[in-house]
Amino acid sequence: MTTHEVTAPALTNMLEARGVTRRQFLKFCGVVAASIGLTEAAIPDIARALEIGATSGKLAPVIWLEQSSCTGCTESLAQVGSPDVATVVLELLSLNYSETLSAGAGHSVEQAKEDTINAGGYILLIEGAVMEGWDGNALRIAEEKGTDIVAHAAQNAVAVVATGSCAVDGGFCAAKPNPAGAVGVQAFLKSRGINTPVVNLPACPVNPEWIISVVVDYLLLGKLPDLDKYGRPVLIFGQTIHDNCPRRGHFENGEFVYRFGSEEEAKGYCLYPVGCKGPQTYSNCPIVRWNDGASWCVEYGAPCAGCSCANPLKAGGNWVDVNAPFQKRHRVVKIGSWITQPSTIGAIVGGFMVVALTAHGFGMKLAGRVPSGAEFEKARAWDVKHPDKALFPKTLKKDGDE
Amino acid sequence: MPESNETLVAPAPVVDNTPLGKKLNLSGKSVIDPITRIEGHLRIEMEVEGGVVKNAWASGGLFRGMELILEGREPGDACYVAQRICGVCPVSHCHASCFAGEGAYGIQIPNNARIIRNLLEGAQFLHSHILWFYNLTGLDYVNPINALKADIADTAALGLESIKNSTPLVKALMPDWNFADTQVADFAGVKNRLEAFAANGQLSIFSGNWFDSGAGDEYKLPPELDLIATTHYLEALQMQAKASQISGILGGKMPHVMASVPGGTTFYPTEQRLDDVLFRAIEIRDWVAGTLIPDTLAVAPFYMDDFGYGRGYGKTVAWGVFDAPSRKPEDRYLPAGIVDMNKLTCKMWDEKLITEDTTHAYYDDAAGTEANPRQGITAPAWPSDGYNVNNKYSWSKSPRYEGEPLEAGPLSRVLSAYLQGNAFFKKAVDAVLQYLGVPGRVDVLVSTMGRVAARNIECLYVANLMIDWINELCAALKGGDTEFFAEPETTTGEGAGMWEAPRGAIYHYEKIKNNKIQKYQIIIPTTWNVGPRDKNGTPGPIEQALIGVPVNDMNKPIQALRTVHSFDPCIACAVHITEPKTGKKFTTVTSPWGVR
Repeated sequence: MTTHEVTAPALTNMLEARGVTRRQFLKFCGVVAASIGLTEAAIPDIARALEIGATSGKLAPVIWLEQSSCTGCTESLAQVGSPDVATVVLELLSLNYSETLSAGAGHSVEQAKEDTINAGGYILLIEGAVMEGWDGNALRIAEEKGTDIVAHAAQNAVAVVATGSCAVDGGFCAAKPNPAGAVGVQAFLKSRGINTPVVNLPACPVNPEWIISVVVDYLLLGKLPDLDKYGRPVLIFGQTIHDNCPRRGHFENGEFVYRFGSEEEAKGYCLYPVGCKGPQTYSNCPIVRWNDGASWCVEYGAPCAGCSCANPLKAGGNWVDVNAPFQKRHRVVKIGSWITQPSTIGAIVGGFMVVALTAHGFGMKLAGRVPSGAEFEKARAWDVKHPDKALFPKTLKKDGDE
Repeated sequence: MPESNETLVAPAPVVDNTPLGKKLNLSGKSVIDPITRIEGHLRIEMEVEGGVVKNAWASGGLFRGMELILEGREPGDACYVAQRICGVCPVSHCHASCFAGEGAYGIQIPNNARIIRNLLEGAQFLHSHILWFYNLTGLDYVNPINALKADIADTAALGLESIKNSTPLVKALMPDWNFADTQVADFAGVKNRLEAFAANGQLSIFSGNWFDSGAGDEYKLPPELDLIATTHYLEALQMQAKASQISGILGGKMPHVMASVPGGTTFYPTEQRLDDVLFRAIEIRDWVAGTLIPDTLAVAPFYMDDFGYGRGYGKTVAWGVFDAPSRKPEDRYLPAGIVDMNKLTCKMWDEKLITEDTTHAYYDDAAGTEANPRQGITAPAWPSDGYNVNNKYSWSKSPRYEGEPLEAGPLSRVLSAYLQGNAFFKKAVDAVLQYLGVPGRVDVLVSTMGRVAARNIECLYVANLMIDWINELCAALKGGDTEFFAEPETTTGEGAGMWEAPRGAIYHYEKIKNNKIQKYQIIIPTTWNVGPRDKNGTPGPIEQALIGVPVNDMNKPIQALRTVHSFDPCIACAVHITEPKTGKKFTTVTSPWGVR
């Protein structure tokens, strides 16, 4: 392999030409490094990996297919910060097909896609669920069924990145009653006997930093990131939202938000009683954040809806079916995985699996921090006794009576 | 520098000779599938005769069944799930769903939440309009490759010139505006970047481009203006992201905002949060005034022909958007109105007069082919003859108002505001028409290029409103108003959210019992525009607008593409394009550098 030295002035010139300061760029490389589990020492290597393509005429070819998508994942990619999406699609990658960004249309872009497939060596990004309904006619593009398009493009790809929950397991499209037969890419390819490796990046939409980090990992190290049993990069999805949540301290203190738009929210109290799924949802959102770091759901008082909860191995594991109702605290309480939470105890009540609380979790009273326990404890106790009844009202009265 | 009251005069329009298609007498079937640079999957099939479109069929290619997914869930969940219809305008779906939920709950959101909802919606409008003009439809008019020929000194001079040219308009609308505040971009830097890209030789997003459409002269801008627009294409990517950051801040993240729910907002705005919004809003407003508006005025004179086609029916629908304190649709900052441009009338809507027709859509006729959405049933069925323009050919339904197809979008809102005497739009529209050399001819806006102009005028309006709303919110907070969320009064009832997405009128309806959704129906803006023929065989608005469009290239019918783009279709919302069944093979992708 020929080493390609990036001299500081060359890099600086390249970045200046696109309105990115060197500092911004290195910060970006830092985010990428963190996402793929490298230390800051790797930043120059990442910068070099990103720069190689820009000068050698060998940008990694990429096809971006939209299936049953809302284009939210493409939109999300467009929100990436430094470098911006123009740099990504013009100088870091060769995005040869994208229904949203391609300049061409109709026959000519379809031809560009076909040429890229025939040449091989491309990364295939798929956004949206594969739709099997009506024998694949739920989605037709250029007189072909969506299913056939995915199978054809995946066959020759070096890797498939399922971007967003819909592509991972059908996402909301697969929510009951799954009217159009939505399935995830991995399950679909398996059913067609196609063995191209799949990286799953769930969330609705995908976080753009994750896409870049997977691609950089591939460009830099010539391999895909380490994946868990769900095909997700371990370093992105190895910890829960709760593990890294800035509101976590208030959870420990038993300080909760019981009503949307309240002062408790502004104080940064924990959103668990209003339905936050952070304890059971795996993702590094609190660290990487969204919209170039401007915010993320929980920071602005929105309970985590668990949109990165996806199960490509099991139908019905989509985030909507698992996590709705979103704005209510679940009867089934999970904190992380109870394998790694040995103090968690399980019980089966009336057909509901109630995984009761950990010592440091809802047993604040056990921990002695809140003498009578958190204010929703009474209601929770009532829930456990009345599994067939409706959950207590959406927002709790302060006295927590039931 | 010209004074604000000085008359605007456009540069001399390019004189177009007989269209190529007419000379060549192009005839036959022309298909664009997929239509790119839109949201979702859309096929357009056209019958061409003598270089002109005689008939057209629009087919939405995707069915997901959102309404069916929402049944049995709760209104609070519906606003989260329903916005997944569209990653470009999730905020509008979220809000329409919230309004429907609030109607069912029998509540109205607190005043603070109303202002925040306007800010959040406004940020999405800015995001969407900026992205659409530069990054989506922009490539129908701008050829970045041609920018390589630009002279840098001339480009800088032309850039200044177009800013000066637009100053009277902008100053009429924003009296404190000073064009000297506009920073002139680094055109040389961008040209270097383009040269490096060209030298690298991989086409990336320019693979399969249409820059050579027709005789290769359909892209009419001089290289200097191409360079300016390309530079601003890159800036626009950053600006749309800034606008989305505002949505992210007020909504948790964007796309798919999580902090706006039935009842109000989940958060309580702190000083720091408001400040984060304000500085971004100011930066975007200044960019829209100093870049987007001048570019619009600079590009339009080269495409005067595009004001002459793509008209459609001239009948439009706007439910209205951005609530005023009265919460009445007619008082909204962009007011409700059903407009007939043939008679220059504007009236208030009545929800009962809406129907959806499924005669030519992939739905089961046994479930009925026409109904008001409150009674409508979503019964998808793939027909035995598949896609067939003589029978069923789209997943999109056909909404009708009093039995007629109506166009939805920024044009609809601008016409509604203009005809109702909104001072901003009176001034802005009249000034633009004068600039184009067609004073008083509001009907000129009902065209392919007219939709572009209307959308960009609206963008400036919303960019200014953002600052007003932040001030309004600060004043309310200082006055001691701490309400941001209202509890449900009841959990059984029904409600409709009639609102606007950036691309037009949006309708969500839900009926709930004990907080569970029994029925949910949605009419999305693009459904109004892209819907197929109805029971009477009347074409949908895009189909109608395509009739009469010149075609100079059967494989790359750029004028047709511009016309479809002028509606900013959002098909995941509505429904996909296909390729001809003629067995015609793809031949070559022509590009200046070849395919690598």
